[in-house]
Amino acid sequence: MTANTDHRPTYRVTLRRVVRSEWTKLRTLRSTWITLGVAALLTVGLSGAFGYGYNAAIQAGEVQPTTAEGLDAAFLALDLYALVIGVFGILQMSGEYGSGMIRASLAAVPRRLPLLWAKALVLVAVTGVLSLLVCLASFLVSQSFAGADGAALGDPGVARAILGAAAYPVAMGLLGLGLGAILRHTATAITMFVAALLLVPAMLEAALSKSMEDTVMPYVPVVAGQAMYALEPNGPFKMLSAGAGGAVLAAYVFAVLAGGTALLWRRDA
Amino acid sequence: MIEVQALSKRYGDTIAVDDLSFAVQPGHVTGFLGPNGAGKSTTMRMIVGLDHPTAGTVTVDGRRYQDHPAPLREVGALLEAKSIHKGRSARNHLLALAQTHGIPAKRVEEVLAMVGLESVGRRRAGGFSLGMAQRLGMAAALLGDPATVILDEPVNGLDPDGVLWVRTLLKTLAAEGRTVLVSSHLMSEMAVTADHLVVIGRGRLLADTGMKELIAHVAVDGVLVRSPHATDLRDLLIGQGATVTSTEPEVLWVAGLTAETIADLAVERRMALHELAPQRASLEQAYMELTRDAVEYRDDERILQ
Repeated sequence: MTANTDHRPTYRVTLRRVVRSEWTKLRTLRSTWITLGVAALLTVGLSGAFGYGYNAAIQAGEVQPTTAEGLDAAFLALDLYALVIGVFGILQMSGEYGSGMIRASLAAVPRRLPLLWAKALVLVAVTGVLSLLVCLASFLVSQSFAGADGAALGDPGVARAILGAAAYPVAMGLLGLGLGAILRHTATAITMFVAALLLVPAMLEAALSKSMEDTVMPYVPVVAGQAMYALEPNGPFKMLSAGAGGAVLAAYVFAVLAGGTALLWRRDA
Repeated sequence: MIEVQALSKRYGDTIAVDDLSFAVQPGHVTGFLGPNGAGKSTTMRMIVGLDHPTAGTVTVDGRRYQDHPAPLREVGALLEAKSIHKGRSARNHLLALAQTHGIPAKRVEEVLAMVGLESVGRRRAGGFSLGMAQRLGMAAALLGDPATVILDEPVNGLDPDGVLWVRTLLKTLAAEGRTVLVSSHLMSEMAVTADHLVVIGRGRLLADTGMKELIAHVAVDGVLVRSPHATDLRDLLIGQGATVTSTEPEVLWVAGLTAETIADLAVERRMALHELAPQRASLEQAYMELTRDAVEYRDDERILQ
């Protein structure tokens, strides 16, 4: 005999359930799959084009084929992909405010913070898997053009670089999510995101003296991100090690998400 | 039960809610009335924790909304109908809300059927009419089978069929012992739906009373009199202790005397009466009387500014 036949199940909000809800929200929007699909295909396609150019440069004797050069060519398109993932992250939060969905979401999760955490977890899972596939495919496609001169998966440092390359867009997505929570307005958040991540570094590079450049530029988010997947930093200025770059980027992510969390908690919805 | 205690909300220089206290009891439909800008929506938003009170507290069944382990089980709220992402279907919208509480997907189909949206559950909500969006908002409010239901202007945009449906639903919910708080601008609708009223104006409590008591207390039954001798009749009736007002020539609004007395007096003085109609006080009259001083956006004020 089963007892409790007419007893209603005890409902309760848990982080696990909010994560499930956020996954449902993400997967039930057509725009999710269009955005991510187009970004992935475009990135891998561009990597192929860069691989073709890399091979041409090798044949012309302009470049010595090394693993580091191969990785540079493989991940040249990654900044574009990371930008799209950043905007995707912004939309996870600003889209709720734009549509008014936030009222329904916060009525269901009035403690508020699990909502942002669940969004972050789902974002990391989805963009993490996709980014790993995109980076792997970008590497293989671009290096296939160089044939025997191309870098191979087994080359020292390559596996680590691919992992670093995959982590970079995920971090940008989280930065976007935090910025979306802080600014709540899609257009404002995207403008701020592009300005802070692309325009400010470009202006800094032009404005700073060489010595200051080496002190400041490695800590700019995009540059710190690039350090995560460069084998031998060979840009116009010094770069951090992959681990330090990752740590700097993680600190940015933490700061922006903390700001978003505090404002989500305090403000009227 | 909803308990609002000394609740205040200030936005910058504007005081939206000002030291408001009232309680909403289970088992009744409580109407929440007040002019535009009186603070009704703000109060409702504070009940479900969307806005933080500047001062005071509001609890649902003894706890703040956000302190309940399963909030949707406690309160179902329809605040603004279009609280939904346009690209998502009605079914997936409700499913995402249900999953936060571990409410089974079966319940989503149930509430969709309850509000009559089962045939469009898979359509993108962006294409919904205001009436359909209201029904979807009602479905979301009912999702957790809540003990308390809060609805802000639920009949907005509904066709007569939908209005009747909401009226029946609210009465059913109250009859099941739930707490029901509903705001509306439609006095005629409120008069047939609510049995208790909370009236606010400029963020302050104006009345917290039964429907019948409010009408009896605030509005006065009167008699409409039409006569070619209106001016003389007016003086005569005032002499008998009546209150007489007039908004058009030959028409008097008389309070304090019965139709029978007015007719007898007129016959004595050989004054012809063309119309003599007792008028029952309505909720609308009572409401207008009560909120006269509290209307935020009055025509005469607008002219003065």
